[in-house]
Amino acid sequence: MSVSTTPVVAAALRPGAWGFRLGLLLALAGVAVLAAAVAALLVLGIGIWGNNMPHVWGFDLIAYAWWIGIANAASLFAAVLVLRRHGLRTAVNRFAEAVALAAVLAAALYPILHLGRPWLFHWTIAYPATTGLWPQFGSPLVWDFWGIMAHVIVTALFWYVGLIPDLATLRDRAAMQGRLGLARAYGLFALGWRGSVVHWHRHQAAYRLVAALVLPLLLSAQTVVALEFATTLVPAWHQARLPVHMVVTGLPSGLGVVLAMAAVLRHALSIERIIDAGDMDVLARLLACAALASGASYAHEILTGMVFEDSATRAAFTARAFGAGAPAYWGAILLSVLLPQLLWRRALRLRAEVVIPVGLLAAAGVWLDRWSLVVGGLLREHLPAHAVAYVPSPAEWALLVGSAALFGAVLLLFGRAIPVVAMFEIRHEESLEDVAEEER
Amino acid sequence: MSRPRPCGAIAEFTEAEALVAAIRAARAAGWSALEAHAPHPVPDAAVALGAKAAPVAWIAVGAGIAGAAIAYGTAWYLSVYDYPLNVGGRPPNAWPAFLPAAYIVGVLWAAVAALLGMLWLNGLPRLHHPVFFARGFHRASQDRYFLFLMAEDPRFQPASALAFLRGLDAVRVSEVRAA
Repeated sequence: MSVSTTPVVAAALRPGAWGFRLGLLLALAGVAVLAAAVAALLVLGIGIWGNNMPHVWGFDLIAYAWWIGIANAASLFAAVLVLRRHGLRTAVNRFAEAVALAAVLAAALYPILHLGRPWLFHWTIAYPATTGLWPQFGSPLVWDFWGIMAHVIVTALFWYVGLIPDLATLRDRAAMQGRLGLARAYGLFALGWRGSVVHWHRHQAAYRLVAALVLPLLLSAQTVVALEFATTLVPAWHQARLPVHMVVTGLPSGLGVVLAMAAVLRHALSIERIIDAGDMDVLARLLACAALASGASYAHEILTGMVFEDSATRAAFTARAFGAGAPAYWGAILLSVLLPQLLWRRALRLRAEVVIPVGLLAAAGVWLDRWSLVVGGLLREHLPAHAVAYVPSPAEWALLVGSAALFGAVLLLFGRAIPVVAMFEIRHEESLEDVAEEER
Repeated sequence: MSRPRPCGAIAEFTEAEALVAAIRAARAAGWSALEAHAPHPVPDAAVALGAKAAPVAWIAVGAGIAGAAIAYGTAWYLSVYDYPLNVGGRPPNAWPAFLPAAYIVGVLWAAVAALLGMLWLNGLPRLHHPVFFARGFHRASQDRYFLFLMAEDPRFQPASALAFLRGLDAVRVSEVRAA
């Protein structure tokens, strides 16, 4: 056995290092900020935000579309790896799923909070209420409710079911070390997994089937967000190309975060042999490819916006790309399309100090694109007097920082408590390699 | 004090191929109640045991269709019969607007049913299983492979089961008793 899974188990079972504690402390402080921002919103109302006519949507929808994009790209990546049985999945699948889960949790906050009366969000569920009223099924809000619900539930289950066999390993390791309380805790979540070959067979079938189902689900989750924009009459949004544009330009954000996470994890948990240089190489090139695809989508947007569409759309696009919104628009292209092209150079993509900022800045670039779309789209009112700029308030910044901290805290706790790579996949991969060698 | 009745007999292997060979030998010898344990999926062993994964897919397909039908049906019934709203003379059965939710709910039901159905078919969650009494079984989740002949087998006799397992390429053979 060339690669042992021991470091992965050890990382989950050893006491936390100072770096982890400091990171967790910062993240929890950020979560406290989030709690304060949410509390302020619930008590004082949505007036504490910078939204006002014509800017009915601001940070709430920017962050929502952005987080969904990250979740989307990360899950899409994980699902494709499972379906193609790609060697990379052993190294990055588990935490790509974890990134998706943490991001979708952060995303799910926003549509609820931006309702105005968030405590009534259950009105979007079809249930026989005493009022005798039902949701308006013609409304995109109903799609949104199911889109987010399905995304959260399926991402969480996909991740958890893949985790069950590894929880059984942790249960047995903890029991061997005599830590019975810990063994019981892991054992509870391992659901009595005993590695039966027949169980494995069904487990793998179900896992791959759900990976196949995740693909259309994800596309619909992001497209539903885009469709909500597209069904309005705002010129910059009312385009059939918007759903595809949102899915494609979202890819660099998820892949960038996964790449940065991979670079951090392999050093922080000393698992360089499991997430090896070859894996980092493929991941970095994938981000560069996604950035190219995103670039093609921007080129199409510029072409349609400037040439093919009617005068209202042309004017709206010109305002976004060359008016007051220009810094956000071109900033997005710079960070999420051009900057990742550096990764085509092998010398650069193998350096953690290059890969981490490039990955995170690609995600930031996608945020700028969502800003450009949401704020820039609403910038042009039909009455000149209404053309006021949108300025986010401190409460909105606190919400953004807080949701990023929530994302970080979930990932830090995940990295500590459970194996960050799928151990059974590593064993499986090795046994397949042994067989291949014998056959040679 | 009388010793508890054995739950079965177990053999431990270091290689997956040895486990597959042992399963084939046991099936050929006529053992019917047997279970194999491995730290990772062993497709050959599953085939040798006659495992079928198709029910998982059928459960998913059935649940997916049911979920989509219920989602569309709810929207249709409520909008057309229970609480029709005339919005600018648009048809109450607004199928283009009903489809995205119906489709998402269908995928949601299919995915949840595939995962929960898999657990249900596997008989999980389960608090305990006799095989956990076996010596060294904790390595089944790490690097060892096990073949477990269960006492439910009508032809199970402790002595003959142990003798059969000793004839295989096992590193350890032992009787499993509820401790």
